[in-house]
Amino acid sequence: MHNLDLAAIQAEIEKVNSSVELEELRLKYLGRKGLIAQMMSIIPDLAPEERSQAGQEANALKNQITAFLRQKGSSLAGPEPKATADALDITMPGIAQELGQMHPITQVINEICDIFMRMGFSIVEGPEIETEFNNFTGLNIPLDHPSRDAFDTFYLRDTTKLLLRSHTSPVQIRAMKEKKPPLAVVVPGRVYRPDATDASHLFMFHQIEGFMVDKGIKFSDLKGMLEIFAKSVFGPDIKMRFRPHFFPFTEPSAEVDISCVICHGKGCSSCGRKGWLEILGSGMIHPNVFKHVGYDPKKYTGFAFGMGVERIAMLKYGINDIRLFCENDLRFLKQF
Amino acid sequence: MKFTYNWLKDFLDLKISAAELAEKLTMAGLEVTSLEERAGDFIFEVEITSNRPDWLSVIGIAREVAAITNSKLRTQGTKSKLKVQNKSQAFKINIEDKKDCPLYTLKIIQGVNVGPSPDWLKNRLELIGCRSVNNIVDITNYVLFETGEPLHAFDLDKLAPGAISVRRAKKDEKLTTIDAAQRVLNQEILVIADGQKALAAAGIMGGKGSEVSYATKNILLEAAIFHPVVIRRARQMLGLQTDSSYRFERGIDAETVRSASLRATQLITELSGGKCVSAIESGSAKISKKTVSFDMQRMNKFLGSKIPAVKIKNILSHLGFQIRSKSQYVLTAVVPPWRADVSLEVDLIEEVSRIFGYEHIPSSLPEVKPQVNINTPRDLVVLIKNTLVSLGLNEVITYSLIDRDWLKDFNLSVVQPVEVQNPLSKEQEILRPSIVPSLARVVAFNLNRKQNYLNIFEVSKVFCAGKPDPNEDLVLGIALCGEKAMLLNQGMVREELNLLHLKGIIESVLKGLGISGYSFNLGSGHTIILEKDNQQLGTLGQLPPRVLGNLDIKNKEVVAAEINLKKIFPLVNLHKKFISLPTYPGITRDISLLLKNGIKIEDVLCAIRKQAEPLLKEAAVVDFYKGKQIPSGHKGLTISCLYRSDTRTLTEEEVNPLHAAILAVLQEKFNAQLR
Repeated sequence: MHNLDLAAIQAEIEKVNSSVELEELRLKYLGRKGLIAQMMSIIPDLAPEERSQAGQEANALKNQITAFLRQKGSSLAGPEPKATADALDITMPGIAQELGQMHPITQVINEICDIFMRMGFSIVEGPEIETEFNNFTGLNIPLDHPSRDAFDTFYLRDTTKLLLRSHTSPVQIRAMKEKKPPLAVVVPGRVYRPDATDASHLFMFHQIEGFMVDKGIKFSDLKGMLEIFAKSVFGPDIKMRFRPHFFPFTEPSAEVDISCVICHGKGCSSCGRKGWLEILGSGMIHPNVFKHVGYDPKKYTGFAFGMGVERIAMLKYGINDIRLFCENDLRFLKQF
Repeated sequence: MKFTYNWLKDFLDLKISAAELAEKLTMAGLEVTSLEERAGDFIFEVEITSNRPDWLSVIGIAREVAAITNSKLRTQGTKSKLKVQNKSQAFKINIEDKKDCPLYTLKIIQGVNVGPSPDWLKNRLELIGCRSVNNIVDITNYVLFETGEPLHAFDLDKLAPGAISVRRAKKDEKLTTIDAAQRVLNQEILVIADGQKALAAAGIMGGKGSEVSYATKNILLEAAIFHPVVIRRARQMLGLQTDSSYRFERGIDAETVRSASLRATQLITELSGGKCVSAIESGSAKISKKTVSFDMQRMNKFLGSKIPAVKIKNILSHLGFQIRSKSQYVLTAVVPPWRADVSLEVDLIEEVSRIFGYEHIPSSLPEVKPQVNINTPRDLVVLIKNTLVSLGLNEVITYSLIDRDWLKDFNLSVVQPVEVQNPLSKEQEILRPSIVPSLARVVAFNLNRKQNYLNIFEVSKVFCAGKPDPNEDLVLGIALCGEKAMLLNQGMVREELNLLHLKGIIESVLKGLGISGYSFNLGSGHTIILEKDNQQLGTLGQLPPRVLGNLDIKNKEVVAAEINLKKIFPLVNLHKKFISLPTYPGITRDISLLLKNGIKIEDVLCAIRKQAEPLLKEAAVVDFYKGKQIPSGHKGLTISCLYRSDTRTLTEEEVNPLHAAILAVLQEKFNAQLR
């Protein structure tokens, strides 16, 4: 049917010495106006019974020529390039793509929030300027009581008893006034206390507060939740203990210790030879707090916990001076 | 609070070692912060929480140890009747306000021999860090530590005879306290006085004038209750915290007052040979008999525990509660007078769980009912921080409280910052109205430490005075300074960071938030304003030279921005919609041209787009030249134009006239020279 000699075409392709010539041949046969295209273009004019055979032949021819061209093409490409070692010294420094860093405090906050979010908690934030009610009274901390000594506070001038929150717990009051149970909330944020700055005190630091309120929440639930938290942050081998303590806004209250991350409980200078490190305060939400936000303490129970983020970060990374967090030396920040 | 192992043994039999006891106390809520062996005894130091004034005494701790170790408390025979020889010499007690002083007791002891204390007394006090003075003073201190009731002994012969009163001090009334400091009092401070003068700051410290000395023959021994808040305010005003004020502030019960007074009187008569001739009491402090009922089933449900009923009753009895059964599970507990902190069922739950041991309560997991809560401001802040970090910026955290002087030389229109009433230093005077001064300080701090390339950001609140209350807004601050040094194929390339870097970063942040249609415009004083729909979203600019000078930043430019996130958040659009990829190829034409300085590139691009849309899909600056080839007062640019149709392959014939029209507009409108 056609007048193309396959063997001749093969020989013609074999003779080629350059990729330019090869491209010319490709256009001659396979180009838009090439010989194969011409063959194809007459098919519609053929008798119906001849069309199919003509089509098949043209296609077979096209495939074979394509194969010859490809084969020749690969041999023309020349030998494999020599190892790049001559041209490029791969031991040269890579072209730097500098990474930015989140502040280690942000990293720890995100990590802790993520742990609780995976367990179904939501994140809520509140203002840093607070009322005495939300910061103290609503949390069952009487204004003229020694229990307030632990919460020394910055007050604001020319305001009606506004202050800088000394803990994140006022957000408990806000969240509970806004919503009815069930509640499972985590609150990260900045807090302020007029403490003289030294290696373990800052007048502004960060806390994370968490609380859960529903029918039938138990003290054992608090233990279970915090065990998951501690193992997630400090590793599965960490040991934990709950020690009775007093907080005005929880009853019963517990301080939570983990086995020392430095000496693993044997006793060292970091843990004051005790083998334990205090990491957070917690307890069952006091019925008076529920009364202040209009929850029925007979119907609902709940737990709450709070921790200092700087302290957790110091334990986690082995940082020995809290002031580094606010100094913002880039050589410090870039380590995390 | 300090106590010793042997002192505890006065009140119960201890079968465990000091170290074991320390561990048990810690796990029951009396955290032992140090344990030291000295002179054949062990000194415990415990941290007492503010709800448990009863633990501020050896007896209180012994009671706790009895409950923990399940042993019996031995009370000493202080309840025996006191022999009072002569009631006729009675002193009169005048209490101005019963609220300030609900109970005042005194004993008059005559014929005492004041001298050094016996060794056992001296040693015990010295082990817990209390200096020995003389036998009378030592006994009052000893009884204070043993019972928790502060006592005071006056030299009776130094007092005006007949009466003693408890009253508020007069304005500017003076008193020299035992520490020899002259103190100026006021009406907030409660004093003990005779007919003429203040003798002591009630519940805080006695006066020098009526102090017991070796010459003292007759004493007046005071044991009283003062209102906790009155004592608290007075000691704050006087700046004088004592073992006595510490206890009164936390509350004392009447039963303890009476037994402590008897115990001290007994010791004084035994050790100094005096005789108690008069015992007088004024006030009507009742011994409270609170009753709290509780349900043992509810208790176990609340704790998630299975503490047996017998155990519950046993724990509470040991702690001094009288238990009565109302029904199988419901009990009532009569609260002992020293436990003012117990008034609710949860308080009893705490007592039981504490002594039972938190470690014996199992762990469980609650059923969390999650709330759907997406794209909260916090989520958006995380998104912004991620964008910035992926652009290579470093997050910093700086104080929200700053020195007012830091605002000088910054173009801060906020006149009225929020002031802190009680700052510890000048650096905490105000809540910052802008984040930029703090970032500038971080830049200076790092430049000082030879960090030459700084790209930092912070997300935090800024504050300004408002009516009625101050406002707090969340802002993003960015500061850039120095040379970015990049080791590329062509060698080291250094580039000084400038406002266009800052603009590019802000554009990326806004793109990440799906915000478009904003513009950067020149504001007053070289500030550049980020605006959208005539609303100011933020500002950016170079820090003024005076600011740099004050921070000792030399030969460097610092550029900074502050974006108000409160205004940004409503504009965020994170809904993404797929746009088909182009089906037909496009044709790209570049234009190289010279423009006079002062002509805005944005205007040029707008004109180009206006001329050739819709076939012109993109017009963007792809190169920029300065230098020798460019005549002065001009800038060289290359603008790349992409033409494409969504319905067909464009031909050269279609594009050529469009492009020619653009060139014509550039020449006519902007006087551009084509290159």
